[in-house]
This record gives sequence, structure tokens and C-alpha cells, in this order.
Amino acid sequence: MTKNQFMKELDLSLKGLSSNERQDILQDFQEHFAIGVEEGKTEEQIADSLGSPKHIAKELLATYHIEKVETTATTGNIFRALWAVIGLGFFNLVIILGPFVAIVALVVAGWASGAAFIASPLLVLVNVLFNPRTFEFFDLFFSIMLSGIGLFIAVGMFVATKVLTNLFVRYLKYNVSLVKGGLKHD
Amino acid sequence: MDVQFKKGVLKLCVLVLLDKQDRYGYELVQKISNQIEISEGSVYPLLRRLTKEEYFTTYLQESSEGPSRKYYRLTDKGREYLQELLQEWKDFSSGVNQLIKDGVTSD
Repeated sequence: MTKNQFMKELDLSLKGLSSNERQDILQDFQEHFAIGVEEGKTEEQIADSLGSPKHIAKELLATYHIEKVETTATTGNIFRALWAVIGLGFFNLVIILGPFVAIVALVVAGWASGAAFIASPLLVLVNVLFNPRTFEFFDLFFSIMLSGIGLFIAVGMFVATKVLTNLFVRYLKYNVSLVKGGLKHD
Repeated sequence: MDVQFKKGVLKLCVLVLLDKQDRYGYELVQKISNQIEISEGSVYPLLRRLTKEEYFTTYLQESSEGPSRKYYRLTDKGREYLQELLQEWKDFSSGVNQLIKDGVTSD
């Protein structure tokens, strides 16, 4: 592979990065090729030792997306980071996706139960509308109490969601530094 | 050697190389690949990551021959991290060495 082929493939594989970031990365490799050629190596030899540009790009993309989640943790960003880390290797599908599904299930369940608790007085009201005879004050007070507990759950879930998101991002980072990456004998 | 293992050690190698002096990317890659077999391209993502985590700062410097070079300098935070990794590495390697020694003598 010549320098031009290498740079072109790397550039293409870095789609999704900001053009600033991309320029910066390409510059690093330009420099690497330039110094290598000065030392009397051929472009092919240099490209060969560098390894696959696609693989290098994957590592860079994973880091980039995780960094974005850390600044703004939107759902879209989290999914892009998740996808980028999974892209580093087939094995990751299980290691990354497993905990992710578990965390999402936990968060959804927590919010659902909080919402149901908060809404419980409404259910009593609906019940009264349809069967006025079954109304008991106990139901009303009990549901108001549940509603209060629900509010606490919601506040707790708000904090828990933040903490879990942070933990998961750290887990993703840990994986980027650990997973099979661009070393030889992959 | 195991790929995952090497990758963890790569970080330690880069930090150690920068402890005494600032170096540019190509130099770091050559120093490491002279000793350990790596695919050289993976050093650059690592350098970017560690720079973003504020273990390094970078600056450009003209060179007498060819284009200007990007140098990496270890920050105080980086130096602390290096000490941490070094301690881990020492504990780990002395543990493994002990096991090897015991294994050889007892059999």
C-alpha cells in the first residue's frame, strides 16, 4: 500500500469525525510517513508496519464517540459510542451488549414503577367514575401515599440514571483500552 | 504474546519513554517496535487518547531536516499515572517471576 492509498483509506474510515479532528489525525500520519521516508524506508514498508488503516480508524472512532457521551449524554450519542466499541471486535457484542441491556432494563423498570405509583390516585378516580359504589376513603388515602412514594422513586431514578450512565461510559472506556486492538497477530 | 496483554503494556511503554525527555510520535513508535512486536499504527490512537486524558501536552517543533514534528510532553498528572502503572507492573512481574521460580524448582 502506498502512502496515498493508506491516507485515503484512513480518511474514508474516519467519516463521522469533525473535519478538524480528521485533519489532525491525518497530519500525524503524514508526519510519520515523511520521517520514515527520510530514514530511507519505502512507503510500502512504512504502511505495512503501521497496519490496517481501517483498524486504526476504529480505535479512533471509539474514543471519539465515548468522549462525546461524556460531554453530552444523549440517547443518540450513547448508541453511537456503544456501536463504535462493539465495532472493535466481534467478541465485544456479548461483553458490551449484555451489561447494556441489563442497565437499560433496570432504568426502564425503575421509571415505570415510579410513574405507576405517582399515577395511582388517578386509577382510584377512574375506578370511582365507573363503579361509584366501591369508593372507600382507604383506597384514596392509600393511593395518595403511593403517589408520594412514587415521587421519591422518580427522584431516585433521576440520580440512578445519571450514575448508571456514567458507570457504563467508564465501562466502555475500559473496554477500549482492553479489547483486541491494532496489535499484530490479531 | 497475548494481544490484550500487550496493549495494556503499550501505555506503560509510552509513558516511560516520555519520563526523561519529550519525544515525537515516530520516535516513540520506533523505540517501542525495536523491542516489542506491535502494529505501529495503534500507537497513534493511544497517544491521542492519553493526550485527551491530559497525561500529555503536545507542541510542534521545526526539525533541521524535513517537516515540523509534533512532540509529546508528560504532564504532572501523566507522571503520577506513570508511577501508579509502574508499581502495578512491578508487583505483577515479581509475582509472576516468583511463580516461575517455584514452578521450576519444585518439579
